[in-house]
Amino acid sequence: MERAPVRAPLIKNLELKVGLLLVATLLLAVGFLLYVLHARGVFQPTQELILVADDAEGVNIGMPLTFSGFPIGQVKRLDLTEDGRVRIHVAVPLKDARWLRTSSQFTLEKGFVGAARIRAFSAMLSDPPLPDGAERALITGDAAQDIPVIMARVKAILSNVEAMTASDSSINRTLAHIDTLTGRMTGDYGMLEGVLGGPDKAQKVVHALDRANTLLASLNGVSLRVDQTLAKADQRVFGSGGVMDQTDRSLAQVNAILGDVRESLKRADAILLAAQAAATNVEAITADVKGATTDLVILRTEVDDSITKVNHLINEINRKWPFRRDVELKLP
Amino acid sequence: MAIPQRFLTRVGGGALGWLQAWGRLLAFGARALVQTFTPAAYNSATRSVVLKQIYFTAWQILPGFLLFAALLSYVIIQIVVTTARAYGLSDFALEVSVRVVVLETLPLLTVLFIALRSGAAINTEVALMNINNEIRALEDAGVDPMRFEFTPRVIGGAISVYALTLLSCILALVLAYVAVYGFQLWSVGDFSRVIAKIFTPTAFLTLTLKSLLFGLAVTLIPIRAGLEAPRMLFFAPIAVLRGMVRLFFVIMFIEVASLALVYM
Repeated sequence: MERAPVRAPLIKNLELKVGLLLVATLLLAVGFLLYVLHARGVFQPTQELILVADDAEGVNIGMPLTFSGFPIGQVKRLDLTEDGRVRIHVAVPLKDARWLRTSSQFTLEKGFVGAARIRAFSAMLSDPPLPDGAERALITGDAAQDIPVIMARVKAILSNVEAMTASDSSINRTLAHIDTLTGRMTGDYGMLEGVLGGPDKAQKVVHALDRANTLLASLNGVSLRVDQTLAKADQRVFGSGGVMDQTDRSLAQVNAILGDVRESLKRADAILLAAQAAATNVEAITADVKGATTDLVILRTEVDDSITKVNHLINEINRKWPFRRDVELKLP
Repeated sequence: MAIPQRFLTRVGGGALGWLQAWGRLLAFGARALVQTFTPAAYNSATRSVVLKQIYFTAWQILPGFLLFAALLSYVIIQIVVTTARAYGLSDFALEVSVRVVVLETLPLLTVLFIALRSGAAINTEVALMNINNEIRALEDAGVDPMRFEFTPRVIGGAISVYALTLLSCILALVLAYVAVYGFQLWSVGDFSRVIAKIFTPTAFLTLTLKSLLFGLAVTLIPIRAGLEAPRMLFFAPIAVLRGMVRLFFVIMFIEVASLALVYM
């Protein structure tokens, strides 16, 4: 009946299967342990930051210290000082410590729902980094803590409202005055009577307005006459046979004269070409010099003539142009 | 005067019997533990029994159990995550679901499953061996049943429960990550932070110790209950019944004690 030792091995690869299970279990167990240790920051070098608060309610070990919403540290230990304040030891991994500067501020915030949170604010990231073991004050901002203060203020506001709505309050008196004012406004002169205080004063204002109306009518006449004068001036300057017309004609003349000048210049060009050709042949030059000189004299007279004409024309334009300031308008 | 006296005698006798049974159980457990840590107690025969126990208790049910554990965990995690989101508390969804599923539900589920399957089987087998005088025959033949039959089963059972708990818990952690953050790896940092917060040294030790104690209970109690059966065939079902009820109470006691240890 000795059962245990004589049992035949009925299961295929029994040892392999069980070995596989055991190795997998062992590996997972060790792996998970290492992962938890890593997650708890056992392998990470940290620096210590001590926050001092009056009240550490809501702070517990393992709570994160956040910067811009990112956890950069963890509460490791809490203890009470001799003067009854709380020292909160926060471990900050060295790689995250650069977010904490000497000018950083730390706050403890408690909402109505959810855990409290410790937050760090570093306005100046160019300041020197926070040294290891630094001690800073923890500013407490508790939503629930503010309620009594808010209630006190609300009470004060309510009593003010009460004073305002009382029967002898200044608001009530103001309302009574407004009543008289609107009563007056229903008189013959409407709002004017309300604003000025009586019908006689309102009447004066109405008279003044009437006179202003008459004045405006006469001004209207004056402006009509001014209009007529302006129309005449327009006719003189821009109408047919006016200053502008004459100017147009003068410009046409100028164009013709300029055509003459262009012709003369062309001829001068031809002469110059001939002169260039002559330069190659000295004899030709000496033969032609006389003729060329005669030609040049004629040309010069012609050019002079043209320029005098242009000059004359320009003088005439200047004289006829009424808006030129400097010349002939300076009459003695 | 006779009736109260008889009543009291019965109550006292019952209480004494109850205490003695627990005392014998504890003594038996202590012997098994001592033998577990005695290297001389191991040979190829004991090793073979340990391997078979692990094979039948853990390997055979592994795929089905992991599938079931994954489904159940995923459903619970989804419920917790969805509810937490609905109340605007999604920051706490991961922590709550890991606490509920990994620390409490899965170890308990594993041990209950193994108790129903292997615990009941061991209880019946030992009770029948006892009734058929096989255990006495082993002793007469110079084979210590404690060394060759019982201790290897306790060891195998404990290892099986631990392995199944660990595998299902890690599967549940992966599922929790997927349920909360989706299929991406960018949130491993956040996840690690929550895990670090949950798995304090106390919680980690409690979980390990709890699943080891579960493993011991799930084999020790049925063996002891089988051995206590009077040597008559019709006592076999009673022995199984007693063993199972006792096992249930011990499992619940360990669970409550572990909760008290972590949360108080």
